[in-house]
Amino acid sequence: MLDGEPLVRWHWLGDHLGYLAGLTGDHAVIALVPVLIGLLLAVPLGLACTRFPRLYQPLAAVFNVVYALPSLAVFVVLIPYTGLATRETVMVPLTCYALAVLLPTTVDGLRAVPEPVRQAATAMGYGPWHRLAAVELPAAVPYLIAGLRVAAVSSISLAAVGALVGRGGLGYLFVDGFQRTFPTPILAGIVLVALLALVCDLLLVAARRLLAPWAAEVAR
Amino acid sequence: MIRFEGAAKRHPDGTVAVRGLDLDVPAGRTTVLVGPSGCGKTTILRMVNRMVVPTGGRVLLDGTDVAELPAAQLRRGIGYVIQQAGLFPHRRVIDNVATVPRLLGWDRKRARARAAELLELVGLPPETARRYPAQLSGGQQQRVGVARALAADPPVLLMDEPFSAVDPLVRAGLQEELLRLQAELGKTVLFVTHDIEEAVRLGDRVVVLREHGEIAQLADPHTLLTAPADAGVAAFLGRDRGLRGLGLRPAADVPLAKLEPAYEDWKLTLDQDGRPEHWLRDGRPHPVPVFAPARDTLRAALDAAVLAPSGHAVAVDADGRAIGTASRAAVVAALADEGAQVNHAGR
Amino acid sequence: MNWLDWLNTFFTDPAHRSGPDSILNRVLEHLAFSAEALALAVLLAVPLGLLIGYTGRGLFLVTALTGVARALPTLGLVTLAVLLAGVGDTAVLLPLTALAAPPLLVAAAEGVRGTDPDVRDAARGIGLTHPQTLFQVCVPSALPTLLAGARTAAVQVIATATVAAYVGLGGLGRYVIDGLATRDFPTTVGGALLVVLLAVAVQLLFALLIRSASPRAARTVHTDEPAGSPALSKDSI
Repeated sequence: MLDGEPLVRWHWLGDHLGYLAGLTGDHAVIALVPVLIGLLLAVPLGLACTRFPRLYQPLAAVFNVVYALPSLAVFVVLIPYTGLATRETVMVPLTCYALAVLLPTTVDGLRAVPEPVRQAATAMGYGPWHRLAAVELPAAVPYLIAGLRVAAVSSISLAAVGALVGRGGLGYLFVDGFQRTFPTPILAGIVLVALLALVCDLLLVAARRLLAPWAAEVAR
Repeated sequence: MIRFEGAAKRHPDGTVAVRGLDLDVPAGRTTVLVGPSGCGKTTILRMVNRMVVPTGGRVLLDGTDVAELPAAQLRRGIGYVIQQAGLFPHRRVIDNVATVPRLLGWDRKRARARAAELLELVGLPPETARRYPAQLSGGQQQRVGVARALAADPPVLLMDEPFSAVDPLVRAGLQEELLRLQAELGKTVLFVTHDIEEAVRLGDRVVVLREHGEIAQLADPHTLLTAPADAGVAAFLGRDRGLRGLGLRPAADVPLAKLEPAYEDWKLTLDQDGRPEHWLRDGRPHPVPVFAPARDTLRAALDAAVLAPSGHAVAVDADGRAIGTASRAAVVAALADEGAQVNHAGR
Repeated sequence: MNWLDWLNTFFTDPAHRSGPDSILNRVLEHLAFSAEALALAVLLAVPLGLLIGYTGRGLFLVTALTGVARALPTLGLVTLAVLLAGVGDTAVLLPLTALAAPPLLVAAAEGVRGTDPDVRDAARGIGLTHPQTLFQVCVPSALPTLLAGARTAAVQVIATATVAAYVGLGGLGRYVIDGLATRDFPTTVGGALLVVLLAVAVQLLFALLIRSASPRAARTVHTDEPAGSPALSKDSI
C-alpha cells in the first residue's frame, strides 16, 4: 500500500513546524472553547438541578443520549444551520458533549457536601449564597476538575473528526495524509492530538493541586 | 436565658412535631432534653437558632424574640454542635475553628490565634491544626466541632446528640471533657440526647420529653432517678435506675471503720507506704477492691464492697493509701440515707 | 430547500430502496461490522478484565490504557490503519476493536472488583474454588457494570464505523461521506439522521439489557446513571 514510502519523513516535519503549530492552535481553540462554555453552563445548570432535584433525571437522560450520538452525524446535521467548514459546526456539538460529561460531575460535586456540613454552615450564620461560594463550590472543585479532565481529553480527540466537515484542526492532517497516501502527517497528527490531550490533563491536575489541596492530601 | 413560650411546630403536611412548649433554660447551666426519637427534641433545639421557625408561640433569648433578630447575626452568637461534626472538608482544622470569628470580621491572624487557643482547650495536640477533617478520627472531629462552636465565645451552646456517633470509650472521654469545659466556661448549654445515661451525667437539669415535645418531667438528675413523675418516665429511665442513681451520690456518705488487724479469716496487708496489697486467707493472696471517698460515687463503693472477698471494701485517699474500711452492711445502710447530696459530675 | 425536503428526497430515492446502496443494506452492513468489532473486543478485553478485577493486579494499567485510548483520534487511527494494511474491512476492524476494548476492560475489572467483599469471602468460606467464586459470584454481580461498559463500547464502535466510511468502509457512513463529497445534502443529512437513530436504538437496547440484568433493588441506581459518570473512576477525582 505504501509502495516504499517510509512511515515518517522527518524532513517534512522539519519543513512544516509553523504549519503544525498553527493547526495545533486551531485545534486547541476548536476543542477547548466548547469545554469552557460547557463548564460555564454546567455550573448554573448543576445548581438548578440540586435546588430542583426533579429537573435532574430528565436532563441527565437527555444528555445521556446526546453523549452517545456519533459526532460526525451531529456535525452533519448542524451544517444547514451553521454552514460547512465553520468552527461553529464543530464547536456546538462539542459543547453539548462537554456539558453531557460536566453536568453529572457538577451535580455529584455539589451533592458531595454532606447535609450536616450544610446545616453547620447555616447554623454559623452563612446565608444561602455565601454558603454556596464558601462551602459548596469549593467542595465541588475536585469533582469539577475530574469531569473537566474527561471532557477536555474527549473533546480534543473528537474535534479531529471535524476535518470531515472541513474544520478539524489537526484532523486535517489525517484527511491530507490519507488522500496523498502519505503517513507522516497522519502520525504527526495522532502524536500532536495525544500530546495536546496530555498537556491539558497535566494542567488540570496541577490546577487541582492549587485549587483543592485538601483532596490530594486527604487521599494520601 | 432561653425561654420557650408556647413554642409549637406543625409541618406543612399537618403533622405536629411540637405541640406547644413552655420552658425556661437557665443561663450558665446545662439543660438536657432527652426522649425517644421523634419526640421533637431536635426541633425544639433548632427553634433557638431559627433553623426551625415556630408555627406558634415564640422563643426568647435574653428577653428578645429570636424572630426579631437577623438570622445570620443570631446564629453567629450561638454555638451549634451536631452529631456528625459537620466540619468543612476543604478547610484545615484551624480554619474550620476560625470560621465564625472570620464571619464576624476578625482578621485572619487574630482568628487563627483564637482557634489555636480553642484547639488546646478541647485537648487537641497543636499538630492537628494543619490537618484536614478527613484526616482525623471521629472523636477528634467532634472535639474540633466543639472548638468551632466555642470560637466566637457565644454565651449559648446548642448541642444536638454531639457524641452519639463515636464509640463508648471515646464518648465517655468527650463527656468528661465537656463537664470540665462547662465548669470552666459556664455557658448556657442546651443539649439533646436520646441516651438517659448521658442526660443524667451531663445535665444540671434534665427535661424528659414525650411525643410532640410534651414535658413528661423536668428535674435534676437525682430527683429524676429516684422519683420519676409517672410510670412512663420510669420505664424510659430503665430497670437499674436505682443503681444509676447511686452514681450521682458521693461515696463520702459511707461511714468508715478503722483498719483492723484481722477480719475473721481474712488479713489485709499493706505496702510500706500504706497502700493495700492483698487480702490474705490461709496465706493465699486475693485482690483488694478499693474506693476513694473523696472522688468516687456510692455506686463505686457498693461495687467494691460486693467484690471484696472479705466482705469489706477498702477506702483509700488520693494517693491510694488505705484510710479505713466499709462493710457491705455499712454501705447498704448508707444507701438508705435520704439526706445524701447530689453530685452529678459523677465523682 | 429545507430539512423535510431533504429527508423526503433521501427516503424516496429509488437507489435507497433496493440494491447495494439501499437503506436496509447500509443498516445491516453497519450493524454487522459493528457487531464484529464489538465481539472481537469482548473476546479480548473481558477475560483479561475479569482476571485483573479478581486478582486486583494491573488495575493501574487499565486506568492508563483508558486514558490513552480516550486521547487517540479515531480518524487518525482509521486512516493510518488503511495506509499501513491496505484498503479493506480487516484493516478498519483493527482500530475499531482497539477503541472498543478499553471501556470493556475497565467495566469487567471494576465490576468484579466491586463485588461485595463479604459475599466473596462467604463464597470462599463455603468451599467454592477461585474459578467458581469468579464465575458464580463475581461475574453475576459484575454483569450490570459489564453491560454498561459494553454500551459505551457499542456507541463508540457505531460512531467510529461512521467515520471509517471515509476510508472505504460500507454502512451508513457511506451516505454521509459520499453526500459530503458531492455536496449532496439530502443524502448526507439523511444518512446522519439514520446514524443518530441507530445509536439511540442501540442505547435503548442496552438500557433494557442492563435493567433486566440488575437485581431488583439496585435498578433505580444503575439504569439512570448518566453516561458521563461511569467514565470517572474514583481515583481520577
